[in-house]
Amino acid sequence: MSKILIIEDDPFLQGLEASKLTKDGYDILVASSGDEAMTKINEPGINLILLDLVLPNFDGFQILEKIRSTDTIKTLPVIVFSNLSEAKDTKRAQELGATDFMVKSNFTLDELVDRIKMIIK
Amino acid sequence: MEDIESLKKEIEKLKDSNAVKSDLISISAHQLRTSLSALKWILKMFLDKDLGAMSAEQEGFIKKASDSNDRMIALVNDMLTLSHAEDTALSFKFSPTDVIKLAEQTLFEFSGESQKKQISIIFLKPDHQVPNIQCDPEMIRVVFQNLTENAIKYSEAGDKVVISIKEGEGSLEISVHDNGIGIDKKEQDQIFGKFFRAENAKTKDAIGSGLGLFTIKKIIEHHKGKIWFESTRETGTTFFVSLPTNK
Repeated sequence: MSKILIIEDDPFLQGLEASKLTKDGYDILVASSGDEAMTKINEPGINLILLDLVLPNFDGFQILEKIRSTDTIKTLPVIVFSNLSEAKDTKRAQELGATDFMVKSNFTLDELVDRIKMIIK
Repeated sequence: MEDIESLKKEIEKLKDSNAVKSDLISISAHQLRTSLSALKWILKMFLDKDLGAMSAEQEGFIKKASDSNDRMIALVNDMLTLSHAEDTALSFKFSPTDVIKLAEQTLFEFSGESQKKQISIIFLKPDHQVPNIQCDPEMIRVVFQNLTENAIKYSEAGDKVVISIKEGEGSLEISVHDNGIGIDKKEQDQIFGKFFRAENAKTKDAIGSGLGLFTIKKIIEHHKGKIWFESTRETGTTFFVSLPTNK
């Protein structure tokens, strides 16, 4: 069973994402703030990280930077799943090594699952 | 000299207030999208019957709510683009750009959607190197996105969308052609108007905000270029964009 870490501070969205992914057979781990995420990214067995950008304490860019500079997890697929969409944000995420960038309001959760399946076959 | 100094101060003030406006729109859009995402996902769960069976009447209302929510999302997306495009020329970031490469990158984003709708996208590019042009690549990307998205949206399975770029005299000529629903003659002079949507476009796709073509016309005008179209109802439309190469 693939394990996904959901980093999302909005409890309602986090709940919807977690329940959809659990239903589709994924093992779910959640983090609701930047500092909680900074610890949980190091948990063993994670196959993919779903990363929000606007978060308390550390933002998503700092977390992505941390992932890409930590030897044990630097190659983990990271889907940035945010409601920011300005060019400066997508460019920064891409430069920091995001695997994909999806604007939450433009996708259904089924489409998110399709994208995850394409990344972790 | 004093006049120049005071003008410079005024420009700085305007830049500051413009930055405040852009930040405000960006933050509001982010917050709006958070609620709209939650609604989108929940309404989809209802429509997929994840939350149990519904009567036909209930399903009809939920479908209307879902369409209405999608319209709101499209409006927020277009408002963000428009806000950027309506900023003064000061905030456009012009740089020498390989427009062919930019088009290829943008068209790649549509490969999934065009496959899903069984529409072929054909890109005809010049057989020789064309000069880089001075433009804001992010804004010209919006132009490609918008025209291609419209062409796909208003076409049927089996249709072709043809994007072509060629070099003209002192300009780069871009065209986006579809065999879609076309634009009625009596509505053609309103097509670039703010919030305008043609009747047959509303029937074909309920979601659009009517800000897309208005926005890209502004973008092209900021680049001292031109945009126009030829269209026949039920036959198709070709949009043409001309961008100066020697700005």
